[in-house]
Amino acid sequence: MSPSAGARILVVDDEPAIRRAVRTNLHAHGFDVETAETAAEALERFEHLRPDLIVLDLNLPEPTGLDVIRHVRERGSTPIIVLSVRDAERDKVAALDLGADDYVTKPFGADELLARIRVALRHLARPPRGADSVFRTGDLRVDLERREVTSGGRPVRLTPTEYELLKAFIAHPDRVLTDRMLLQQVWGADYGDESHYLHVYVARLRKKVEDDPQRPRYLITEPGVGYRLLLADE
Amino acid sequence: MLYLPAVLLAAVRLGRGPAIAASLLSFLAFDFFFVDPRFQFGVGNPSEWASLILLLFTAIVAGQVAADQQARASDARAREREAIVLYDVLRLMTEPDLEPSLRAVAERLRAELDLAAVAVELRDERTPRRFVAGDEPALHRLGPGLASRVLSSGRAPTAAQRAGPGRWVRVIPANAAPGVPAQAGFASVPILGDGTQLGSLQLLARADRAFAPADDRLLTAAAAQLGTAIVRARLRRDAAENEALRRTDELKSALLDAVSHDLRTPLASILAAASSLRQRDVTWSDDERAEFLASIEDEARRLDRLVGNLLDLSRIEAGALRPQVGWYDAGALVDDVLGRLRHVTAQHRISLHIPEDLPPVPLDYVEIDQVLSNLIENAAKYAPASTTIDVTLRRADDGLRFEVRDEGPGIEPAEEPELFASFHPMPRKAIRSASGIGLGLAVAKRLVEAHGGRIWFERPNDGGARFIFVLPLAIAA
Repeated sequence: MSPSAGARILVVDDEPAIRRAVRTNLHAHGFDVETAETAAEALERFEHLRPDLIVLDLNLPEPTGLDVIRHVRERGSTPIIVLSVRDAERDKVAALDLGADDYVTKPFGADELLARIRVALRHLARPPRGADSVFRTGDLRVDLERREVTSGGRPVRLTPTEYELLKAFIAHPDRVLTDRMLLQQVWGADYGDESHYLHVYVARLRKKVEDDPQRPRYLITEPGVGYRLLLADE
Repeated sequence: MLYLPAVLLAAVRLGRGPAIAASLLSFLAFDFFFVDPRFQFGVGNPSEWASLILLLFTAIVAGQVAADQQARASDARAREREAIVLYDVLRLMTEPDLEPSLRAVAERLRAELDLAAVAVELRDERTPRRFVAGDEPALHRLGPGLASRVLSSGRAPTAAQRAGPGRWVRVIPANAAPGVPAQAGFASVPILGDGTQLGSLQLLARADRAFAPADDRLLTAAAAQLGTAIVRARLRRDAAENEALRRTDELKSALLDAVSHDLRTPLASILAAASSLRQRDVTWSDDERAEFLASIEDEARRLDRLVGNLLDLSRIEAGALRPQVGWYDAGALVDDVLGRLRHVTAQHRISLHIPEDLPPVPLDYVEIDQVLSNLIENAAKYAPASTTIDVTLRRADDGLRFEVRDEGPGIEPAEEPELFASFHPMPRKAIRSASGIGLGLAVAKRLVEAHGGRIWFERPNDGGARFIFVLPLAIAA
């Protein structure tokens, strides 16, 4: 049994076969599962059931999955995991920019979806990061109060921009952050399209905090979408 | 002084030479008749010389002026005619289609110059094309003989070509100056444009006539005009072709988009079910296991139908579609299809209308199975759950009629004309909500037509959609 068992999950997909498979699977893993076929039905269920998490297919007829994200985000921070066909890269970024927490590309394996659901629910259970002034994962330790970063016990010297970038990652661990989100958070609202800045700084940051920058453990690339700060297994 | 009008008359009528001759003649006549000693060519009084020379000078100058004036007037007339012809050429060439324009220009030039035949020959990227005006025998004489081949290609004739019938052709250079004497009844003017020779203007004068120098200038100018217009028309055509290519690309990527969505959707269900079954941390009940397996089977079949459609479409596009026709019972075919699609239509009521006395129909079982499957699958996809799908067979005048009717939202009138088109980009919404419909209907249409039948859409009065196809009861020749 997973630690987040009992959580209520709303699965939105217009494909009956997917709905069936996901429902059966999540149910077997101890979740309380509800399904919806259309965006309208999803919103109605959302208001009614107040699920702990939403698994949402983007490719719904009007209103679309994006409309669902918008609506849910207006009402709170319920985690949303987006299901999408791979070629809808732009849709995926749009969904994440709107506030979706993660995405799973179709076709997907049951374990992958389960793992993403557990991660998203784990954030929910954890107190907000701001309350804790020291962030730790694996070898990486960041003292946000004293602006001290150590990796494997040795101190790491970061430029102000690198430090801001790392802070942006720490604010949303395990979540996919799009290029646009990171740029706007670190460089400001005018920098949404300057992805190359970001790529350069992420590369520098990796050189300083990763043991092997070629195979990063913490700062993971999400191809075509952005980056994710991966938490080490506790 | 009486002689001056005669000199002027000669100048106006006959030009410069006769005017000078007339001047000299009047000088001699004056000397002979009026200057002492009379009736002989001699001048007694030297002062008479002055008036005589003055007379000669006046006569010559007046003659010259009159002749110049005359030449200028005829030149102006020629230029006016030229301007009108060129303007007509220009006007004819503004037509969007190059070919009728060139034919019209050929006819206009033939009429203007009163020629036997005119041909505009285009050396295209592909084969040379000719646009002609004139009667058959003249055109035959103008026909693409050795000379015009050499002229239009710019290459020396081969031995075989040289052995063929020959004739003289007059070549008017692109920058012809008037005054070259006319020699032959044939003329060829190169059409230049964009620095290359685009083709040539070939003309045949009527029997026992030749080209006048003034015609040369007109033809040169007309050829230049044609060159510009042809270059413009080609640019226009290239732009249109590029646009068409761009649209084809767009369509292809839209299709690829739709197809990859359609392929991945059943794959996603299969993978989700299969990977669930492999999970070791859960013990599945028999029912759950059966449900996953059924899902894998159904979705695999759906994938197979989709791949079948894609293959059919590519076979159709490649022109390799040949129905393997045999005589079958259409009712049994319908039962077969519905049996195979029972999971697809599980949420719907199926209402079957199959008369007992249907004749056997000549059809390719696999292909018509595909057509019916596509129609029924679309109906199930579009129409909401627990509505009715009607499948009807009946005899019609022109063959056996298959109808599939659903109670879904129907087809927008705007979408109707494109309904059966292949590679037509559905609005994104339509692509996803009715995955594969574009492909399915396009394939259905091609398959039915390959049987000599036809397929169409009807909007029932009480809503929904009805697709109908008719197969002939006799094997198409």
